[in-house]
Amino acid sequence: MRIVVAIKQILDPEGITVNRRRERIFINREERIINPADKCALEAALRLKDAHGAEVIALSLGKPAADDALREALAMGADSAVLISDKALAGMDAPTAAMVLARAIERLAPFDLVLAGQTAADTGGDQTAGRLAELLGLPQVLQALELSLDGGRLQVVRLWDGKPVRAAVSLPALVAVSPLAPPARYPHGARIMNAYRQMQVSVWTAQDLGLTPEELTPNIESRGQVFPPERELGTVVEGPPAQMAGEILSLLRMRRLI
Amino acid sequence: MDFTLPKEYELLRRMIRDFARQEIAPLAKRVDVQEEVPREVIRKAAELGMMGVPFPQEYGGMGAGELGYCILMEEIGKVCTSTATVIGAHTGIGAMAIYLDGTPEQKKKYLTPLARGEKIAAFALTEANAGSDAAAIRTRAVRDGDDFILTGSKMFITNGPIADIVSVMAVTDPSLGPRGGITAFIVEMDWKGCSVGKVEDKMGIRGSGTSELIFNEVRVPKENILGQFGAGFVTFMKTLDVGRVSLGAACLGGAQAALERSIQWAKARTQFGKAIVHNQSIQWMIANMATEIEALRSLVYRTAWMVDTGQPFTRYAAMCKLYGSEVASRCISQAVQIYGALGYSRDVEVERMFRDARIAEIFEGTNEIQRIVIASDIMRQEGVRISP
Repeated sequence: MRIVVAIKQILDPEGITVNRRRERIFINREERIINPADKCALEAALRLKDAHGAEVIALSLGKPAADDALREALAMGADSAVLISDKALAGMDAPTAAMVLARAIERLAPFDLVLAGQTAADTGGDQTAGRLAELLGLPQVLQALELSLDGGRLQVVRLWDGKPVRAAVSLPALVAVSPLAPPARYPHGARIMNAYRQMQVSVWTAQDLGLTPEELTPNIESRGQVFPPERELGTVVEGPPAQMAGEILSLLRMRRLI
Repeated sequence: MDFTLPKEYELLRRMIRDFARQEIAPLAKRVDVQEEVPREVIRKAAELGMMGVPFPQEYGGMGAGELGYCILMEEIGKVCTSTATVIGAHTGIGAMAIYLDGTPEQKKKYLTPLARGEKIAAFALTEANAGSDAAAIRTRAVRDGDDFILTGSKMFITNGPIADIVSVMAVTDPSLGPRGGITAFIVEMDWKGCSVGKVEDKMGIRGSGTSELIFNEVRVPKENILGQFGAGFVTFMKTLDVGRVSLGAACLGGAQAALERSIQWAKARTQFGKAIVHNQSIQWMIANMATEIEALRSLVYRTAWMVDTGQPFTRYAAMCKLYGSEVASRCISQAVQIYGALGYSRDVEVERMFRDARIAEIFEGTNEIQRIVIASDIMRQEGVRISP
């Protein structure tokens, strides 16, 4: 079984403060991490590898610094790593990024499963996984919590309206893993050393993927950032469900909403 | 001159920091109260290679050298001194003696399970009448055919109650004294005649077991002589030298944690209508702590680099231990002061840290001995020989 996991390197959100009053975002500590949902996706791939044996390929699109994210993936247990990095790829929008990733995944064919994080903790676009499935012509399962292999089919426990439900999909498929999925393992110290000293990260450029300047022209233009208005904290109701329901009912009646 | 930490060590630090915060820190109070580091924590740390950081991968180690080991001790020293002490006595001195002077067979047989954390090591030198005066030991090893019969007792042995494999120093020829008359042995604690004596009831590092080890006519095969016969004193001194660097690193972690707690509390605590961090008295304490910590950090990591690059480092290792233990004690004492009466309460971590820090000025050679080591090394270059 060959599994491709798409991972994104992001600035650690813990090192960032948002100042609403001044409408500015401050970077206090510049530490780059693997996007949490992508790390869960990597863990899901490694669990399949532990259970059934698999070749796990970590793939990232980003600046040269994303090499560190891929080395971390290798340290965690990925078998190989590919970084798509090129100056021509700077300032991409979500559709273009998905197209570039899809092109790279096609180049990694044959594969049985493509995993990605459901959402990126920096941009929060929730777009990559769905777009990738569409571009690659794969069936998709989103918001996955647990993956297991049953014969030729992949059994997935996924979130549906906040509740876990079972789904099954034939392979090849794309699964987007929720950041609420089981947390990633710690990499073994010796593998950390070897990930930098012995293992390789392949680097692919736009040219390697046969991407033309036209294809790379973004559809979306950024015109700056605005802050949504602050939401006022509503009334908090606490207690056993029946009591809470009663309180909410009387609140709604008091405001003549029902 | 490049002070950048290599990338693999940055990732290693992040992994250890996460592990320390998530797996060790939540247990630190329990470790102190219940006087035990759970074996489960040691097992988890071992699975990630943390029980054999400085040793080569061919012997089950992480292959991260003294630099990696100092990073480990700093990060664990930040959250739980007891856990750092268990790992330190195991790796930094117990297993280190075998790594430095063991034969390839001894390394395969003993260092490998130790580096993997399957077995726990201790280092047995101190006796009731041989503390700073280590050469005054009385434990005897008498030749009997191809074996040695080991008899005596060791005191204040860190990891004594849990150790499987112990590096023991014994007198093999009383007429020769420390140079030639003392030999190091690798002893398995489940051998007949080995037992654990009195377990100390200590002021701090209460989660790390310290005990007497009793050897009653223990038969030790000659294959278990560690290093040269008669050169045990050299083996042990060499081992202690290395151990002092990582002890300095653990102290660095403790001092750094004290600074972080101090800043947090000074921002949160309001008196006279403002956060106490706005008082110059507090700012000066924080500035002093931060400055000493930075000086210690430079000293520790430069010394680790000297160890890894094969340079003579004895003097600097002694400085790491001496300065590290004093900086940790000073910073933690100031943190207690900043916390005020609350800092004297068992409800806050700085109280435990205060009790835990004191031992670092004493064990692995008192700070007075460190000053002798430093002065002797300086004077040796000046052509003066100092006798203790």
